[in-house]
Amino acid sequence: MTTMLRQMTTRGTPYLFLLPGLVILGALLSVPLYKVVEYSLYDNVIVERNPTFVGLANYTNLMTDPGYWSAGFNTVVFTVGSVLGHMIVGIGLALLVNADIAPRARTFFRSMLILPWIFTAVVVALNWQLLLNPFGLINYMLQWMGLTSEPLDWLGDPDLAMWSLLLISTWRGYPFIMVSFLSGLQTVPRELYEAAEIDGAGFWHKFWHVTLPQLKPVIFGVALLDLIWTFQLFPLVWLSTGGGPGRATEVLSTLTFRLAFVDFQFSQAATVAVSILIISAAFTLLYLRNEARRL
Amino acid sequence: MSRIEIRNLVKMYGAHQALHGIDISIQPGEFCVLVGPSGCGKSTTLRMVAGLETISGGEIAIGERVVNGLRPKERGIAMVFQNYALYPAKTVYNNMAFSLQLSRMPKPEIDRRVREVADILELTPLLERKPGALSGGQRQRVAMGRAIVRDPEVFLFDEPLSNLDAKLRGQMRAEIKRLHQRLQNTIIYVTHDQVEAMTLADRIVIMRDGKIEQQGTPDAIFHDPDTVFVAGFMGSPPMNLVDCMVTPTGLKLGDSEIACATPDGLRAGARVICGIRPDDIRPAADQPGRATATVPVDLIEQLGTEKLVHFRAGQHSMIGKTGGRVDLAEGAPHPLAFDMAHAYFFDPDTERRIR
Ligand SMILES: Nc1ncnc2c1ncn2[C@@H]1O[C@H](COP(=O)(O)OP(=O)(O)OP(=O)(O)O)[C@@H](O)[C@H]1O
Ligand SMILES: [Mg+2]
Repeated sequence: MTTMLRQMTTRGTPYLFLLPGLVILGALLSVPLYKVVEYSLYDNVIVERNPTFVGLANYTNLMTDPGYWSAGFNTVVFTVGSVLGHMIVGIGLALLVNADIAPRARTFFRSMLILPWIFTAVVVALNWQLLLNPFGLINYMLQWMGLTSEPLDWLGDPDLAMWSLLLISTWRGYPFIMVSFLSGLQTVPRELYEAAEIDGAGFWHKFWHVTLPQLKPVIFGVALLDLIWTFQLFPLVWLSTGGGPGRATEVLSTLTFRLAFVDFQFSQAATVAVSILIISAAFTLLYLRNEARRL
Repeated sequence: MSRIEIRNLVKMYGAHQALHGIDISIQPGEFCVLVGPSGCGKSTTLRMVAGLETISGGEIAIGERVVNGLRPKERGIAMVFQNYALYPAKTVYNNMAFSLQLSRMPKPEIDRRVREVADILELTPLLERKPGALSGGQRQRVAMGRAIVRDPEVFLFDEPLSNLDAKLRGQMRAEIKRLHQRLQNTIIYVTHDQVEAMTLADRIVIMRDGKIEQQGTPDAIFHDPDTVFVAGFMGSPPMNLVDCMVTPTGLKLGDSEIACATPDGLRAGARVICGIRPDDIRPAADQPGRATATVPVDLIEQLGTEKLVHFRAGQHSMIGKTGGRVDLAEGAPHPLAFDMAHAYFFDPDTERRIR
């Protein structure tokens, strides 16, 4: 009896320490989660005292709303574009700063290249707004180089806004990928590169046949994680373009915000939020399964 | 098959000089083994021949070409690494085929070559496996196979057997020897293991602190060492090397006198380092008629076919040998015979051989 009790206490101790964290996390996660799902099943929540239960009407509304579909499409473009951008720039820079140069220079470049990650979204968005402004530095440079005669309204032109947003998002997000790959690169044995060199491999062959296979598990995990983050990314988009011009860069997260706090259609906003939740959860499961397989 | 000429090779790592002018001339088809203590520059030399390290000074020629400025793949070499360096994501087949694929060889020709080499090395049943699913010995064979399929002019090995257990190492050693007899390529082989050096080499190069101490056939290295270092490096247990005083009739070794002929240049009273292999010191009953000295035997090591006899001569610890069946008491004085015809004499100051 006593041994059982003691066993229980020793086994239970770690969980006891976890308890406060679990309680807070549970409360902060489960209550809003429940509320959001509940809101999505009612009409006129928050604004009316006694909202009416409407079942899945909000969802059918959403399915027939072209605004939702266009935001969904934009989200896919933004997410896939950003992740690709992060990957390409991140891997490229990781390869560069992993090169055999003076250690001091290497540390310097590594620290410099991580900088975009430490600014808050507000600073990033403001900076890029200044840079991309029709009278901003980038237009000035382009004109000076003779690449364009008229200043371009990068964030204001519906044809350019998504590209500009992808540029900003890539700049903002590549350091995480770069750092992940950098640590991955350092685990590739040098002898493999030497063997490849003797086998006659040039830079691209070494990258393709040695580096990439070694980084594959890292690439897959990091890409999924990035996908999950970017899919629901709100501040950077909202602060850079606000989903505009018009609805050119409206993504699901900004749509949710607009529905809730601009149009005060909280039910409809909750419905969009639930749809984001479902998709994110699917990706998260995929990610967790990948991680579990790696172990 | 081609010759390799290494002329006055120098390697600097920053201010640290790793190689101080190495000269080696390797004949076509010769099996050259580099040995020496850790950090003496064996790998550095090999990697410079491979083109994996830059050359700070001197010249390397493979065949008739000076290869100083050439990249590894242009040198006609193949290398086997200590940790095998197999591509983990590729099958055994593709590991072996990779260099041929890169050189744009037609597929059927690649297939023919890979299968032929796999057959020689008994790798055929493993061709579709990844390196992770192979044993150490099998990986080692794949690494050799990868080198062989290219049919290079020169093979470079950097301690290829050091990760294998003793038994497997013996097998692979014989296999490498057979391969060399069959393929007749020029080989440079780096090892720590003196048995590998003695059994494999046509020429042994003994290195020390970035310089060549001596090079020659295994016979010459073992039986005709130029310096104290070489004498002590080859042989297990190592040669006894003791400080002696020359007397009119022979040597004074600790408290005992041993009658023997000494080199002409040495006068009585001079100090000399005398080297004598354990095989040449045996109980007096084993080899009658030799110079004997009665010395205290303090330890006997039974090795099976033979016993090692540890004894003291003055302040020196020395080792002799006797048959595995000979009974010898520990802790008692015993007359031992010294075969001084096979003793070596070295100058104690320069550590060079006095002939
Ligand atoms: N990249 C490097 N930078 C600086 N010094 C180096 C470098 N590589 C080797 N050295 C030095 O050069 C010397 C020779 O090294 P090398 O690797 O050739 O030794 P080795 O004979 O192969 O030794 P081992 O038997 O331990 O492999 C050593 O003193 C080593 O410290
Ligand atoms: Mg080495």
